[in-house]
Amino acid sequence: MKTIEALAPDQASLSSASKLTRQSNWPRLEKSEQLGLIWGECQGSGSNPYRVVVDTGDHGYKCTCPSRKFPCKHTLALMWIAATTPASFVAADSTPEWVNDWLGRRRKTTSQPAASVPGAGGKSIGEALRDDESAVVEDAAAIERREAAQRKRAQDTRSAVSAALDELDQWISDQLRLGLAGFVDNSSDRCRRIAARLVDMKATALAGRIDEIPSRLMGLRSEERPDAAIRELGKLVLLAKAWRSTPDDAELRRLVSTSESREQVLANSDAIQVESVWEVLGEKIETRRDGLVSHSTWLLDLKSASPRFALLLDYFPASAGRRSNAFTPGDRFDARLVFYPARQPLRALVVERKGDVLSREWPDFGFDAADPLASHVAKLDTAPWLTDCPIMLPPGAILLDDRGDAWWQSADDPHGIALPIADTVSPTLLGLDLAATAALWSGSRLHLLAAQSGFGRLDLS
Amino acid sequence: MNEIEQTGLATMRDCWITGGTSFDLAPAAWKDIAAGANPDERERRLLAIAAQALEIALRPAAPKTLKRRPPLPELALPMLPERLRPILRAALKHAADARAKSRVVALVASRGFVLHPMDWMPAASDQTSPDVYAPWIDWQAGVDGEKHTDREQLTAQNWDDFYPAARRSALSDLRRTAPAVARELIETKGSSEPAEIRLTLIALMHFGLGPDDVPFLKSLSADRSGKVRELAGRLLARLGQHGQPGDGGPENPTAELAAFITEGKSGFIRRRTTYSPAKLKSPAQERRRAELFETCNLVDLAARFGVTEPDFIGAWQFGADNNVDILVARMVAASGSDASVTHMADTLVAEGGKPALFVLHLMPRLDSRRQRVLIRLILKDTQYLGALSLAEGIEAGWLDWADLTNGETLPALRAAVAGNDDAVKRGADQLLEALGFLVTAAAAEKLIGDVVAAGMAPSAPSLGLLRLNASLSGP
Repeated sequence: MKTIEALAPDQASLSSASKLTRQSNWPRLEKSEQLGLIWGECQGSGSNPYRVVVDTGDHGYKCTCPSRKFPCKHTLALMWIAATTPASFVAADSTPEWVNDWLGRRRKTTSQPAASVPGAGGKSIGEALRDDESAVVEDAAAIERREAAQRKRAQDTRSAVSAALDELDQWISDQLRLGLAGFVDNSSDRCRRIAARLVDMKATALAGRIDEIPSRLMGLRSEERPDAAIRELGKLVLLAKAWRSTPDDAELRRLVSTSESREQVLANSDAIQVESVWEVLGEKIETRRDGLVSHSTWLLDLKSASPRFALLLDYFPASAGRRSNAFTPGDRFDARLVFYPARQPLRALVVERKGDVLSREWPDFGFDAADPLASHVAKLDTAPWLTDCPIMLPPGAILLDDRGDAWWQSADDPHGIALPIADTVSPTLLGLDLAATAALWSGSRLHLLAAQSGFGRLDLS
Repeated sequence: MNEIEQTGLATMRDCWITGGTSFDLAPAAWKDIAAGANPDERERRLLAIAAQALEIALRPAAPKTLKRRPPLPELALPMLPERLRPILRAALKHAADARAKSRVVALVASRGFVLHPMDWMPAASDQTSPDVYAPWIDWQAGVDGEKHTDREQLTAQNWDDFYPAARRSALSDLRRTAPAVARELIETKGSSEPAEIRLTLIALMHFGLGPDDVPFLKSLSADRSGKVRELAGRLLARLGQHGQPGDGGPENPTAELAAFITEGKSGFIRRRTTYSPAKLKSPAQERRRAELFETCNLVDLAARFGVTEPDFIGAWQFGADNNVDILVARMVAASGSDASVTHMADTLVAEGGKPALFVLHLMPRLDSRRQRVLIRLILKDTQYLGALSLAEGIEAGWLDWADLTNGETLPALRAAVAGNDDAVKRGADQLLEALGFLVTAAAAEKLIGDVVAAGMAPSAPSLGLLRLNASLSGP
């Protein structure tokens, strides 16, 4: 049920779905345990019922209704029936044609076996065969033409990005010359302009990052903003320099221009794969200035000796409404993840989800209480352009300053380092001893994700 | 980062804030890295170094005045198991108001668990939560210091060592077991407390109220707080002590109230006295009568008519005016003796039908057996099912499946669920919520299955409390 609530785009969908869970709405409800599929036909207002299919393994779904909400109420209702009255589904010997069609078309979101990835890329057998057939008939000249065109496009992109970074360099110099006080005051306009130029010149990812600088600055007190501006712009300088030295580096290309596709990551033999038990620490949903919503889900590896994190990142248009990737904070599951290649691998994809794991405490990580940011600093040594870094804090507590702002402080060193917290915290949290706290450190603020306490696990995201 | 670099960084920073080149201000080691490039590139290199230095070498300056709150106390009961927290949160989310939420809390406490503090916390002013939450209420009230809230017996010596809610809880326990000791404590220590606290302490005297309490309660007639004097008067009235002399003048409120009541006779052979609400001429008079019912005591009113409390209640003509009947019931609940309250409850329940619903106002004064009888009565007569949600002070989780099947409640629920009348469905939702609090875990599970079979969506929010109930198998 938790998963269904998390998947629902909004409360109204959930409410509508609950009304559709009556058996009478579903003339057909079938399942295939072998394939991990459930499907059904839901009688809507039209003459033909809507056809709904859900993959119970990775919560992939398809419905023939015209709703622009994803998942729609019919999908949610089907999942609901499966969760509450699984006996309603009749075991089917074979899958209907429309289910087969969907299976063939879909790109698996979580349970793509790695072995089948190279070449196939999640396509159906039919599509894969078609590709093979076309490969046979394609002549060598055509292949050469296509590859040449690809090389030219790549070269054009690289040239454009290089020119974009030249403009960025000049823009940064201009900001220093004009004064960071003015930059801080007008960061919205100034960042918007250079971001637009960078988009034109194919440095799209960098443009998105620059677009977010104003909101990052505005989240701080005015006296902190100049230092934050130095950090933001300085990191851009470092990132631009790194790209120029190795423009083919996957991590740098991802940060500057475009990210590789899911299939490319899965097919990349250099991508690290980790099979472990993962806990969903929390999520962060932000509407960006470019109209996209970024949905970050942070995971913690429960089998690693030192804290290892993974980030599942999803983007979708704000107009599509709220979406979720079906993970609820506190969930624990056994899964294999593949990490996007990087100096500090963090972003990942779930390759195979094997099942849920019962809750228990976090493992006892060895903490450096003298400097809770030590792990963060170590990461910046190799990737100084990093922004929000997940960290695991040693035993500590949340305290308030005279202004009522919250700070995290280590229990072992009450007069030592204290880290300011970005958001207002629940007053209850002020009375809890935190055995360990997972948070994102932005360089100036902590964004709490979750913590372990004498009262058990705390959801803080 | 050494001191020279820190100073250099600070001056470069100031320079960049106003605008300009900072190369000449940079530490020597940084200059070496930046040198050999054009002026713009030099500044960018220095900016990159400064950014990295700010990130890795500096830490936020912690204010010296960070304040730590005392640790949240652990409660005497175990925390609700983690796996049940989502169901609990769903039930809490659906609970519309504080009263509905307190039912969820009471149900969980009745099964031997407390809630996770991040799911629910009592307010500092909370006086209705189960006693087990007293330490959290005190913590919420922000009473700082090193006072202890041990489970030792409350005495005059350790009175100040208890936080207010913990003290109230200990005192109510003491009042149940040793009322005289508790009274002496209230008498000794209560007089130095502010009126608001004094009022809550004296309110605790309704536990084990007896004739021994009369002298102390009478002494409160000189209390400086009007609310305390009024409360003491009510408690005295429950013990049959008259607040006002029966022969007071026209300014006497009891006399004024009596003037709004018509005394009559009924019966052909055995003529007996009856009391019924007088027909009034204006809404202003009705308002005044309502005020008087709220301030006058039953014992004084009965005396005014020269009868005993049970006689007055027995002669009251219930059914003539619902609003006045409710006012009478409230007056009896507030100031009637225990015997009068039970007499009225038994009489009305025996009569059944709508008059029995007035007993709802007496609920907090009734013993558990009578409360259960009334609830079962309401469940038999489907006409007044809605009244269930009005009942106060009832125990959680005792209503059996047999109680639900012994009447028309289930068929009515099924019909409401299966039908298309939205108003009726809303009524069914409310009833399910009320039953979610009252039924046993086994009955909750059966009830869910029953209404789902009748067509209710298995995920309906109104089943939230029933689901929680069903998942809490016992204390």
